[in-house]
Amino acid sequence: MQPYEMSLAEASDALRTRRLSPVELTDSVLERAGRTEPHLHAYASIDAERARDAARLAERDITAGRHRGPLHGIPMGLKDLIDVAGAATSAGSRVRDGHHAHSDSTVAARLAADGAVLVGKTHTHEFAYGLTTPQTHNAWDPARVAGGSSGGSAVAVASGAATFALGTDTGGSIRVPAALNGVVGLKPTYGLVPRHGVTSLSWSLDHVGPLTRTVEDAALVLTALTGHDPRDPASLATPRADYRPAARTELTGLRVGIPRTYYFDHTDPAVEAAVRHAIDELQALGAHLVEVDIPMTRYVQATHWGLMVPEATAYHERTLRTAPHLYQDDVRILLEAGELMTAGDYLRAQRSRTLMRDAWSRMLREVDLVAAPAVPATAVTAGQETITWPDGTTESVPDAYVRLSSPANITGVPALTVPVGQDAAGLPIGMQLLGRPLGEDVLLRVGHAYELTHPARGLAPAA
Amino acid sequence: MPTSDLSPAQAAHWAARAGLPLLPDRHAAVAATARHIHSVVATLRELEFGDVPPALTYQAELAYQAELTHQAEQDQHDAAV
Repeated sequence: MQPYEMSLAEASDALRTRRLSPVELTDSVLERAGRTEPHLHAYASIDAERARDAARLAERDITAGRHRGPLHGIPMGLKDLIDVAGAATSAGSRVRDGHHAHSDSTVAARLAADGAVLVGKTHTHEFAYGLTTPQTHNAWDPARVAGGSSGGSAVAVASGAATFALGTDTGGSIRVPAALNGVVGLKPTYGLVPRHGVTSLSWSLDHVGPLTRTVEDAALVLTALTGHDPRDPASLATPRADYRPAARTELTGLRVGIPRTYYFDHTDPAVEAAVRHAIDELQALGAHLVEVDIPMTRYVQATHWGLMVPEATAYHERTLRTAPHLYQDDVRILLEAGELMTAGDYLRAQRSRTLMRDAWSRMLREVDLVAAPAVPATAVTAGQETITWPDGTTESVPDAYVRLSSPANITGVPALTVPVGQDAAGLPIGMQLLGRPLGEDVLLRVGHAYELTHPARGLAPAA
Repeated sequence: MPTSDLSPAQAAHWAARAGLPLLPDRHAAVAATARHIHSVVATLRELEFGDVPPALTYQAELAYQAELTHQAEQDQHDAAV
């Protein structure tokens, strides 16, 4: 096994016991990125010199007995919405030409303090306002979309060009690309991971979280990211915790909710089959399956749009007036049309969110978590605009990709996607686990139990 | 106000009211997108909100505390049974 192929936990163990040095690991990941980038374009920028400097520093510290923890010496990518002092945060947009971040975002600072090695900034759909990330290619089939908006982060992790990465999620932007590229993606509870220094799409829906190759790795990264930061008004004052799950597969007594409605509607048969098979595996591990009705499904898209569209337009108010031509067409038109939404539209969405949150809370009293597909279809061919379902109805690709993700953004509940198989074309499928607020430990426990019995598929090919 | 039959000229008017002058070549596209957005969010008018307040801040901690309280009540109930 080459160092770039190691999971975070494996690499961390090798670094801690000095069977591997951070410099060897970083060189291996950079060399791998050199082979994958011409085909996949996961990164907006790679700073190899900075990465090697950080790796040498980590090597000196570890050799001197100053091991800082599981992330020390681990190469990673940050979505290019996340500020790193001295680097541009391009947000995938010409609007940001010449940008220069003056200080680290909270998450970048926490990863740096834990000794993680920044390889580079990963591509995002422009300002995170889209579900495909057109700059980047799917790790398993470059003719297909990476998913988005954290497409670069997912592809970097899936292809071995980063050992882990961070993304952001406003309507599925961590979980969608993670599922489409066969990696793990975690959208934490709203407010658990501070967003200071992260470019916003929609303040009341935005989350930051990890993309990794295993659930255990996601837990290690989450542990480094949490903790109150008063500079993010939504940041929770919950105590920091160690999220690393125990190495056990026993799920006896756990109640897993299986949606009777919504999550399996208009879902590709291969996706449904893979997810239901994975749910059967959870049952075989001792979980008790309970059918649940997902509340207020008719109002999910309306509530999501009613929140996101005006908030995004408000964020871009100034540049939409001074440099509208610098936006891509798909983003510009949404920002412009958002100007026509009323305060009444926005308040109805916020009141609907109150109802939806209460209804989800009642549902989540009956079960410990809900298991469902992450995305209703696998990665579509680049340029494909719609999906036609077996009943003849069509749905736009962004609407389909966001449909099963946005309830967790509206309600704020944590959601984890875990790879559970492939379709006939070899394209990855993800199972989504949704939990109670601050119930990350339950999701990680269940996801880890699944991966212990069904180990991850391995890296995507280099080309 | 924007409605489902919003015309390009009306879209330009309402954008200007919001402080965003649109060039003529943008009017039709903005009107079409605004109509689509409106058709989606208008569904929320079906809801009976009564006294329900807007969820202006997320209160995960309160939700979590409520969950703990519920669990404690459940445990008490189970013990009593």
